[in-house]
Amino acid sequence: MNRVMRSVPWSDRRVSLALLIVIAVVVMSLLSPYFLRPDNLLSMTQYGAVLGLLALGQSIVILGGGGGIDLSVGSTMSLSGVVFGLLAVNVGLDPWVAALGAIAAGAVLGGVNAALITLLRIPPLIATIATLYLFASAALVLTNGIDINGFDHSGFAFLGQSKIAGFPTQVILVLLPAYVIAAIILSRTPTGRRIYETGNNAQAALLTGVNVRATRAGLYITSGALAGLAAVVNASWLLNAKAAAGAGMELQSITIAVLGGIVITGGIGRVSGTLLGLVLVVILNSGLQLAGVSNTWQIGLLGAVLIVSVLIDTLRVRRQRT
Amino acid sequence: MADSRTLRRVQLALLPVLLVVEFIVFSLLSPRFFTPENLANIAYNSADLALVAAGVTLVVILGGIDVSTGFAVGIVAWTVAKLSGAGLPAFVVIFAALVVGAILGAINGSLVTFGKVPPIIATLGTAAIFQTALFALWNSNDLFASPVAPIFSGERVLGVPMVVGLVIVVYAFLAWFMHKRPSGRELYATGSNPEAARLAGIRVRRLTFLSYLTIGVLVGLAGLIYVGRVGVVQASSGNELTLLAIAAVVVGGTSILGGEGSVLRTLGGLVFIVVLQNGIVLAGVPPLWNGLMVGTTIILAVAIDVLAARKANRPLLRGLA
Repeated sequence: MNRVMRSVPWSDRRVSLALLIVIAVVVMSLLSPYFLRPDNLLSMTQYGAVLGLLALGQSIVILGGGGGIDLSVGSTMSLSGVVFGLLAVNVGLDPWVAALGAIAAGAVLGGVNAALITLLRIPPLIATIATLYLFASAALVLTNGIDINGFDHSGFAFLGQSKIAGFPTQVILVLLPAYVIAAIILSRTPTGRRIYETGNNAQAALLTGVNVRATRAGLYITSGALAGLAAVVNASWLLNAKAAAGAGMELQSITIAVLGGIVITGGIGRVSGTLLGLVLVVILNSGLQLAGVSNTWQIGLLGAVLIVSVLIDTLRVRRQRT
Repeated sequence: MADSRTLRRVQLALLPVLLVVEFIVFSLLSPRFFTPENLANIAYNSADLALVAAGVTLVVILGGIDVSTGFAVGIVAWTVAKLSGAGLPAFVVIFAALVVGAILGAINGSLVTFGKVPPIIATLGTAAIFQTALFALWNSNDLFASPVAPIFSGERVLGVPMVVGLVIVVYAFLAWFMHKRPSGRELYATGSNPEAARLAGIRVRRLTFLSYLTIGVLVGLAGLIYVGRVGVVQASSGNELTLLAIAAVVVGGTSILGGEGSVLRTLGGLVFIVVLQNGIVLAGVPPLWNGLMVGTTIILAVAIDVLAARKANRPLLRGLA
């Protein structure tokens, strides 16, 4: 037993997250008999699929360093969702074709961030605060604030409302593949190595021949495309597209990434940690909802979790130094 | 590089020119724009924003940021409405507002300096916590309140809202302090190179903490003005101020990279933004477009700023994003 305890890599963020998840599940299922019911688990994971895609994009952007952050992920999702709705309903495209359009729209919006940050060299924080504003109001202007419905045909609801082997389709077909692909690219390919090098020390990366700007631009574009994908999954789940769909999700995605061990200064962290962070946040949200606690309390809790997880990180670094 | 100096000069001259153009365009578009009544209205309605933006300027010069100011104003406004509703004398309410604001600022300051949490993370977190705190305090009861003191109401002297005097005093003091006092100069030194500043004996942590504390006190004043101006406190009160304050700072030309800027530039940026918001409404543009206008303005302003800074002194970073 002792040997087992010693062989566990306790300093790995993912181990402590896994423990926290177990504790959270036990506490929540004791607090509410509904927590472990299949329908609750289902709605939890359906929501988690949308949030998880945004958190994945956020994670890779932060990994790329240079103050990398994408505060516009929520607005990008809203605007891509509106583009999807307009294409599917007003233009009358097949919803699956419109879905490709939404992902492309997300990539273009990510490209706007990439251009502002890598070409004009506006600091990511300001660039994405501005696009947070821009994309959200563009979504409002395009819809006039009215929800778009009526794209529930051609089997579009399959993605968001069906199950495969008891698990939501969007988790099996979209969320997990996205994380697996990202993990493989980051850990097994030259592209992944370039991303970590860029995030760790951009000067050094530049000297070893890495195209730092192109690498970072690629990360913002990917984050945008993932937000577009999240919009599609969300539309297929809720069967409507609204201008405020992604509002507030930027805070959640940053919290999940940081909680998962993605270090805010870049270059350190793994997306498997982000996935565990996602699970924990989704469990907490769902538990609070079952306990009848309002959404706004979840926002506050999330803020506290974000600050505490960074505080623990800095304490840990300090202890390692001494 | 000669052209960098030109670009810098263009950048500094740009805002005054844009302001003049803005006033001329809106005067042509709407006869109601350039009237004493409308201008006094704009000034009164942006006084709270002006105070918050002045505070945010300090931490931006330090190389930091604060995205929690909006809900902090909301919490102060709730306190003000609650206490004045309970019939407490004005000076007690004002004192309480300043204390509550200072406490909220101190929370951010402690996290950033002692907790070593990056400013964006710390203030994103406290923004969420403040939002929830305001929601809990509000508890589904809108609080209605009248201005605590005449200065926080729309009352005018010679056509000028009295509260404008307060804003001018705050800006004049901060401008004097930052340009003439040693601590003010230390702010710039720290912003342009924190490590060098520390080695030169500047107490960076203390300076940072005091800057966030200053934001807090200004948030306290802003909360008093907010209650006088809006007259009601709800769960989302103050929220809109956060991004507008940052926008005023960066549009004014204070470099988001830290180390340079001034509160007077922020005042210029602020006037530009609030006049834009007022003018487009008078010109008949639907309010939905507001966010698009403000967002675009921020991007344009920062792009010019960053281009100028890059030309001036950043050959090392070529190739870096």
